Amino acid sequence: MTSNLKVMMLSWEYPPRVIGGISPHVFFLSKSLVEVGVEVYVVTCDFPGAPAHETIDGVEVYRIDSYKTPSPDFATWVYLMNLNMQKEAATLAARLPGKIDLFHAHDWLVATAGIGLKHVFRKPLLATMHSTEVGRREGIHTATEKMIHETEAWLTYEAWKVICCSNYMVQHVKWAFGLPDDKLVMVSNGVNSNIYEAAGKQDCESFRREFALPEEKLVLFVGRLVYEKGAHVLVNAIPRVLEKVNAKFVIVGSGYMKDQLASIVKSMGLEHKVMFTGFLDEEKLTRLQTCADVSVVPSLFEPFGIVALEAMAAKSAVVVSDTGGLSEIVDHDSTGVKVYPNNTESLAWGITKVLLDEKFRAQISRNGYRKIREEYDWGKIAKETKKVYEGVLGEYSKSFWA
Amino acid sequence: MRVIIFTWEYPPRIVGQLSEYTSALATQLVKNKTDTYVVTYHPYLTGVTEEPNGAKTTRIANPVRTHIGVLTWVLTLNEEVERVAANIYYQNKKVDLIDVYDWHFIPAAVTLKSALGISFVYSVDSLEDHRSHDADAPFNMAIKSIEWLGFYEATKITAKSEWMRDEIIRIYKVPKERIGIVSPNTSGWINDVLRTYTEIAGGTRTR
Repeated sequence: MTSNLKVMMLSWEYPPRVIGGISPHVFFLSKSLVEVGVEVYVVTCDFPGAPAHETIDGVEVYRIDSYKTPSPDFATWVYLMNLNMQKEAATLAARLPGKIDLFHAHDWLVATAGIGLKHVFRKPLLATMHSTEVGRREGIHTATEKMIHETEAWLTYEAWKVICCSNYMVQHVKWAFGLPDDKLVMVSNGVNSNIYEAAGKQDCESFRREFALPEEKLVLFVGRLVYEKGAHVLVNAIPRVLEKVNAKFVIVGSGYMKDQLASIVKSMGLEHKVMFTGFLDEEKLTRLQTCADVSVVPSLFEPFGIVALEAMAAKSAVVVSDTGGLSEIVDHDSTGVKVYPNNTESLAWGITKVLLDEKFRAQISRNGYRKIREEYDWGKIAKETKKVYEGVLGEYSKSFWA
Repeated sequence: MRVIIFTWEYPPRIVGQLSEYTSALATQLVKNKTDTYVVTYHPYLTGVTEEPNGAKTTRIANPVRTHIGVLTWVLTLNEEVERVAANIYYQNKKVDLIDVYDWHFIPAAVTLKSALGISFVYSVDSLEDHRSHDADAPFNMAIKSIEWLGFYEATKITAKSEWMRDEIIRIYKVPKERIGIVSPNTSGWINDVLRTYTEIAGGTRTR
């Protein structure tokens, strides 16, 4: 079983279609699973210019026509897209020479396709819950949100195991859908540290000049400029940091709070100390993460916190708020610095501490890098995921479906 | 011959004429020694029952209770239809065909055909173009797309009148020879149904 385990992965996004974090997650998980001997068939939505079928690093990728049926709204589109995804996936699974051993669905966006495939082929279904509607909306307020929440609950009910990427999400999903402990598995999210290796070899000195003066320390924020990401906490902490250290604050990303943040900076008379870059391409962003003196993640709500992992992979020291997935990624004073969430003084203290103590900064970035190489490595994650698959198939083999 | 009927209404749930028709059909099929299963919807009378007419009937409810429209309701209900139909298939090792009434459970029939090779008849009681005359909002077009999928994937189509057959040809450009007529008003209608079934179960694909 170990050499030819076949999994069909369902995801509404896969590169080059990138909407959020599921796309890179499924990309790296799939190719790393192939490396540990799993046959992976990804069924995903189409994207202009991307072929309907291709093999990427051993992963068989099939893209379905996701706009085949006109739809009145986004949520209805999701279910209509699932209709076609299920049909195409069923056709593919039926004509493969060997049988698919299990189906793996990512989030409610592919719930109905996954549930139907489970029953018609009588194979186990696994679900990874990357986020929840109740978490995203801070509660359930409308009929659409309730429908999505109930669809998520149904997916977790039908799944043999539910995978979450942090202990925080395990607890959250358990609470949101009332799941038993033995149904939940924590398999961490990963980070591709190789792209930072390449960026790290390039010269920082001249690159830095695009963003900061040579005598300024570079403080980096990367994230959507929305309330839960806490950029406003960082902006409010800037004067306190500048009392002790000469620094430039580079804020990468966009969102509805951008104008508001810029006006706070202006009112403080600190426009020369803060730079809003908007979106940056991947190459520039990775170089910036590699060259930053400290990366700050001041989120108020964070299911996982991939941006902290990326910073650690780039060997940057990190200061994060002690919440959600971030609490698990960073060990205080060892692999980074944790500060109180939504607390300007605490955040300013953390940033100042890292910037003023060169030895401490080098030490936490070294430890942080070692930690992500050991714990958030895709190879390790693929092995753990394969173990989950094998465990499920072991239980399945004793069921009347086998 | 083993047949599953998919219908979104079946007694005691009566929305329109389809409920009584599918009930009469199931009764007549059993009388003609067809192993007959019915899969239908009921909000709370769920589960498997052997009805007085001899048809093995499964009523399902929607696992998602809150909806924003009939489309999301239908598209989530289809997975339950698939579950029940797959159970019938795996318990008996074989299902000769599925007779699908109107568009609601076409998605399930298409998946079952793709996955397990079970052919289906698309029996047309009404069309979206008549129900919402000339409406071309995305909502109506989505239902029409599902009807089109049914016409495209069905092995055989049945209409209840020559007029309806001609409407299917006019709106969906379906070749005339793929559409049979089963008129419930004629005395030998059940023979027309059985003839259609035998044609398909015998493996004669018109497409």
